[in-house]
Amino acid sequence: MFEVTGKMIQRGAKAGLETTWELAKVVVPTAVVVAVFRASGLLDTITAWSAPYMKWFGLSGEAAVVLFSGLFVNLYAAAGSIMALTLSVREITICAVMLMFCHSLLVELPISKKAGSPLSYIFLVRLACSVAVGLVLGVVLP
Amino acid sequence: MNVLWEGLIQGLKGVWNIALIVVPLMIVLEIVQSNGWLRKLNRYFAKPFAGIGVSEEGAFPVVVAMVFGLTYGSGLIINHVRTGRVTAKEAKVIGTFMAISHALIEDTILFSVLGASPLLLLLPRLLLAYVVAFFVNRWTVEPSAKGNNLNA
Repeated sequence: MFEVTGKMIQRGAKAGLETTWELAKVVVPTAVVVAVFRASGLLDTITAWSAPYMKWFGLSGEAAVVLFSGLFVNLYAAAGSIMALTLSVREITICAVMLMFCHSLLVELPISKKAGSPLSYIFLVRLACSVAVGLVLGVVLP
Repeated sequence: MNVLWEGLIQGLKGVWNIALIVVPLMIVLEIVQSNGWLRKLNRYFAKPFAGIGVSEEGAFPVVVAMVFGLTYGSGLIINHVRTGRVTAKEAKVIGTFMAISHALIEDTILFSVLGASPLLLLLPRLLLAYVVAFFVNRWTVEPSAKGNNLNA
């Protein structure tokens, strides 16, 4: 029992293009903003300020930009930041895995609440998982 | 001006790389869903979920969330609670699970294109979602169970 129709391909392609458009709308501006941050010296300020905390996860100060854009905007913004920065593969992995647990909080926490789970509880669970995994990866990843 | 261009080009390149995977993938997902394969997949997924107090009916919103995202999964939970297909406690267990573990395909592809390890993106998420949901199931008292005790 398996069939493929033109309609399915059309619907799938449409969904894919819509996702790509959503992605482009966030990724491209974020990459530009981060590039401007870097040229203006603002990135250095953010980096210097967050470096001591990022060290807990084996990350450089720059990675804070990725984490914050993921937490407060969404994963597309985090991806845009990664593209505009020059992080090592190890750092990209740690940031990305941490963000897998905790991202787009302003949008996703209310969604979870609607589905019947208290907001603060879901927030704590997701943040704790993210921090715990980040601490472990910072030590374990070569 | 140079800086703006640099950021723009990097962003566009990244979007293109991701689009090359996302568009074909969405076509495959649409075919999978249209053929009713999610329901079949759910039968296999339901087995480990039995260990955290979730029925086959309750596991379905989680499967949907893992494939299509949190919004779709949460929508199904709301619907399942309203129609009485899951209890309030079950809704909390699967709500917790999917808050940690959703949109696995899209998220994993997005960051593996950028160089992160796909296994590290996936496995810790699934594992921790299961562990946390396990404890939520253990520690949550079903409201209706209290009522039964009073009656007994």
